[in-house]
Amino acid sequence: MKRIGVFVCHCGSNIANTVHCEKVAQVAKDFPGVVLSTDYKYMCSEPGQVMIQEAIREHNLDGYVVAACSPRMHEPTFRKCAARAGMNPYMVEQVNIREQCSWVHANKEKGTEKSIDLLRMGVAKVVKNEPLYSTTIPVTKRSLVIGGGIAGIQAALDIANAGYPVTLLDREHTIGGRMAQVDKTFPTLDCSACILTPKMVEAAQHPNIELMTYAEVEAVDGFVGNFDVTIRKKARYVDFDQCTGCGACTEKCPKKVPSEFEMELGMRKAIYTPFPQAVPNKPIIDAKHCRYLLDGKCGICKKVCPTGAVDYEQKDELIVERFGAIVVATGFEQFDISAYEEYGAGKIPDVITGLHLERLMNASGPTAGKIKRPSDGKVPEKIVFVKCVGSRDEAKGRPYCSKACCMYVAKHATLLKEKMPNSKSYIFYMDVRTPGKNYEEFYARTQNEYDAQYIRGRVSKIFQVGDKLIVRGEDSLLGRPVEIEADLVVLAAGMDPRGDAKDLARTLGISYDQHGWFTEAHPKLQPVETHTAGIYLAGACQGPKDIPDSVAQASAAAVKAAGLLSKPELTSEAMTALCDEAICSGCGLCQSICPYKSIEIKSINERYHGQMRQRRVSNVNQGLCQGCGACTVACPSGAMNLKGFTNDQILAEVDALCQR
Amino acid sequence: MNQITKEMRDLARELLASGEVKGLIGWTKGSRWYLTPPLFITRPEEAEQLYFDQFAVNNLTGLLLDYRYGDDKIALFVKGCDSRGIVRLLQDHQIKREKVLVIGVPCMGMSDKKAVTDPRQPVELPLLDKCLECRYPNPVIADRLIGGALVSGEPSEPKGLTASEAAKRGVGSKQADRFAQVKAIEAMSADEKYAFWQAQHEKCLRCYACRNICPACNCRECIFESDKKGWVNKSATPTDNAFFAVTRAMHVAGRCVECGECERVCPMDIPIMALNRKVIQDINELFGESDAGTDLDGKMPLGLFKNDDPEEFM
Ligand SMILES: Cc1cc2nc3c(=O)[nH]c(=O)nc-3n(C[C@H](O)[C@H](O)[C@H](O)COP(=O)(O)OP(=O)(O)OC[C@H]3O[C@@H](n4cnc5c(N)ncnc54)[C@H](O)[C@@H]3O)c2cc1C
Ligand code: SF4
Ligand code: SF4
Ligand code: SF4
Ligand code: SF4
Repeated sequence: MKRIGVFVCHCGSNIANTVHCEKVAQVAKDFPGVVLSTDYKYMCSEPGQVMIQEAIREHNLDGYVVAACSPRMHEPTFRKCAARAGMNPYMVEQVNIREQCSWVHANKEKGTEKSIDLLRMGVAKVVKNEPLYSTTIPVTKRSLVIGGGIAGIQAALDIANAGYPVTLLDREHTIGGRMAQVDKTFPTLDCSACILTPKMVEAAQHPNIELMTYAEVEAVDGFVGNFDVTIRKKARYVDFDQCTGCGACTEKCPKKVPSEFEMELGMRKAIYTPFPQAVPNKPIIDAKHCRYLLDGKCGICKKVCPTGAVDYEQKDELIVERFGAIVVATGFEQFDISAYEEYGAGKIPDVITGLHLERLMNASGPTAGKIKRPSDGKVPEKIVFVKCVGSRDEAKGRPYCSKACCMYVAKHATLLKEKMPNSKSYIFYMDVRTPGKNYEEFYARTQNEYDAQYIRGRVSKIFQVGDKLIVRGEDSLLGRPVEIEADLVVLAAGMDPRGDAKDLARTLGISYDQHGWFTEAHPKLQPVETHTAGIYLAGACQGPKDIPDSVAQASAAAVKAAGLLSKPELTSEAMTALCDEAICSGCGLCQSICPYKSIEIKSINERYHGQMRQRRVSNVNQGLCQGCGACTVACPSGAMNLKGFTNDQILAEVDALCQR
Repeated sequence: MNQITKEMRDLARELLASGEVKGLIGWTKGSRWYLTPPLFITRPEEAEQLYFDQFAVNNLTGLLLDYRYGDDKIALFVKGCDSRGIVRLLQDHQIKREKVLVIGVPCMGMSDKKAVTDPRQPVELPLLDKCLECRYPNPVIADRLIGGALVSGEPSEPKGLTASEAAKRGVGSKQADRFAQVKAIEAMSADEKYAFWQAQHEKCLRCYACRNICPACNCRECIFESDKKGWVNKSATPTDNAFFAVTRAMHVAGRCVECGECERVCPMDIPIMALNRKVIQDINELFGESDAGTDLDGKMPLGLFKNDDPEEFM
């Protein structure tokens, strides 16, 4: 029989308040195999660990169980503690009597009873533990950044500056993201392009950065340190090696299409660069609108191109590249305002969104920076802003705050007043939230110096009368209805996750919340990590963020990625699946279910009744296996076992529970 | 002698004489009028012993497991329901496609010999429940066809020489009731369910007939015969029988081809299909409707990791 030690932790009063720790330790003395059982105030503390190490040596323990908090918190601590005393770290089991007992039960007797049960199971399991060993795997010293908004650019620059090659991938054909559409940025009102484009250029020219625009991630195989990423490089129909970016093609192209970048307030051509400072600054053909690609007529761009760069035959290209770390920075989408029918959104042309206004204000935008209404080009005088459109609205499935709107509305009101001193902005709000350096001051100036009128209350209806927009709402501070005759209405549409964020999450194997924001591994302590080792989050894809937050998070993610890449090698998972070839029937179910493609079916030769014969059996690649356990439950024969969670160990736990 | 039997013998003779197959599995007339048990032959002259009628109910596909590591090519006859067992074995990589020659036969519906009252007195017998509920009366896979049989990978009407007889006898007439028993049991209270199943499991002899006939029960070492201590007690106590019953159902989850043989061969009349169907119903609800063993290239719902698998528990 193995010699087992039991250590019951009080976690200060966290556990001890609802569990009789001394009693638990006392009862455990009688469990089969237990040669020592004791309790202590903080097992994870230095003296606690020293105590465990001494006990291991003194009592010649083969394994131990610590009854404490969640293994998610301290399993590594107690494994390392064992290793320091010369015990294989996998001879340790941690039983959770905090989250599973003291924190969820009020009754001390019951909590104690359950703790004893859990501990009995833990002891029964550890008796069956075997020493496990991990191997080392190489790290591919390259990183992929998905999404080239400000967050992606910053992450790529930081990783590249740390000395590692980075591929910066964006599905659009320029990097820059939303920030490129923004005119000026709060709270400093510096021009967005002026601070963004230098970074775009730096990324494009950085020797360690490979730009891969107009490309999408199709599949991700492998695991931390070695992700094999299948990338679709979409056909651009322009050979970038030959194109000089002269723009002759764009100028001559006869096909005009509403520009996505300009929020459809302006037009672009079918062969185009979305904006003058786009990076890369070479045009692509939009196959959905190109006359030649649609019906074979036209071909003008090819004729006018002086270098023969236009290539209608170009096809999508699939490549597979290996990366050690991945940073996801795919940003957000603006909430689709047409969900607010009562605001005439999507129907009344002069009810626009924040991003529309950004384009109208921008000097290189469709109106050259003059504020003109989309419907008739008239310069508006009374402008109404409605905040929290698609934010903090349970009815629209958006209970969360979009964080940037309060500030960008203040920014808009300020800028409008600067541009048009005779104009007046009315801002309907639920709350004004300005937690950020110099944000509150900015908001105060908007009210005091720029004459913006803040009205607390929700707007119930917006409709057109003549060329005016009637905004009807309620001033909840004064408790009376208000009606404003406006020339232009700006809905501060909230941030939505990317429409296909969930698909990307599944491709990457990371998790997302009910809305589609990617979830961090821990909201406080691991805000840029995901649950999938080697994949990190940056920017608004993780939740609504403004630029400073996005940049800060991007740098944090970059440090994590660079830290990973700086390791000479990684230790592979020790708790992996193992196939018992004697039992395996070679059905291959495990192979098809393995999410990490770690299983191959091999053929073995065996002697059977004096004859040699071949038989199929499953073979787990111990380096690739992540220990998820999917194969072990899929295996109908029970041939597959997860080391550290073998069927025998689990059965021993069930037995122990039944024996109480 | 009926036409199908004649065609069976002719084809068997030809296949064995030419050496195309080394052995052939079919049915033969048994010692009583209501018995048509399996027959394994290797010589052309033995073909005369083959026989087919409304009692050739045994699904022969599981017998192929005896030859899974051999190099000999074996032929066997399959009715519609049986044929899904072939797909099962192929998908589970237990037999090699080139080592088996599948001969599809049309089916007139199999009679329920449990209704025999006088062993000496042949009478018209009712159809087996599984035939009333049958959705695949035509083979889903076959290399050769006799009796005008047709291959169909979809639920279909009986085809071939016996089509009108099958229709008259009511083959497939209770398809819609496939999950009726499951629904009835689901409607019970927890206590009633427990009492119901406990009464069933008390009867089980642990004869393993259900397992032995099953084409999905193709493990090399059945867990119920494993010498590993602690898994399951081999004695036929109600608790261990319950464990056996549920474990058996879970082991064929997503792979059971609904041939109904387990329930038919059970000497104690335990409603085994109720458990199988419950699992099938749940899988259908979770992963979309599918019929195991009807599409050789189809992926098994429980044998696949998909990005959009339901994960309500996470
Ligand atoms: C109207 C408005 C005004 C704003 N004004 C300000 C301001 O003044 N100050 C401020 O601090 N913040 C402002 N913000 C917020 C700011 O826009 C965001 O904080 C910032 O854009 C977030 O950057 P990001 O890189 O995380 O995401 P994004 O800018 O959205 O960039 C994401 C990038 O990822 C790419 N991408 C997406 N999905 C994929 C995929 N599957 N594969 C490959 N690439 C993909 C996109 O093409 C895009 O280039 C404003 C927001 C709005 C809506
Ligand atoms: S435990 Fe099994 S399914 Fe999971 S990664 Fe390892 S081999 Fe694949
Ligand atoms: S699922 Fe089980 S029996 Fe089938 S190949 Fe894998 S280990 Fe072998
Ligand atoms: S479990 Fe029963 S119905 Fe299902 S395949 Fe096996 S024998 Fe046929
Ligand atoms: S055939 Fe019936 S009695 Fe025999 S083991 Fe199966 S369920 Fe039990």
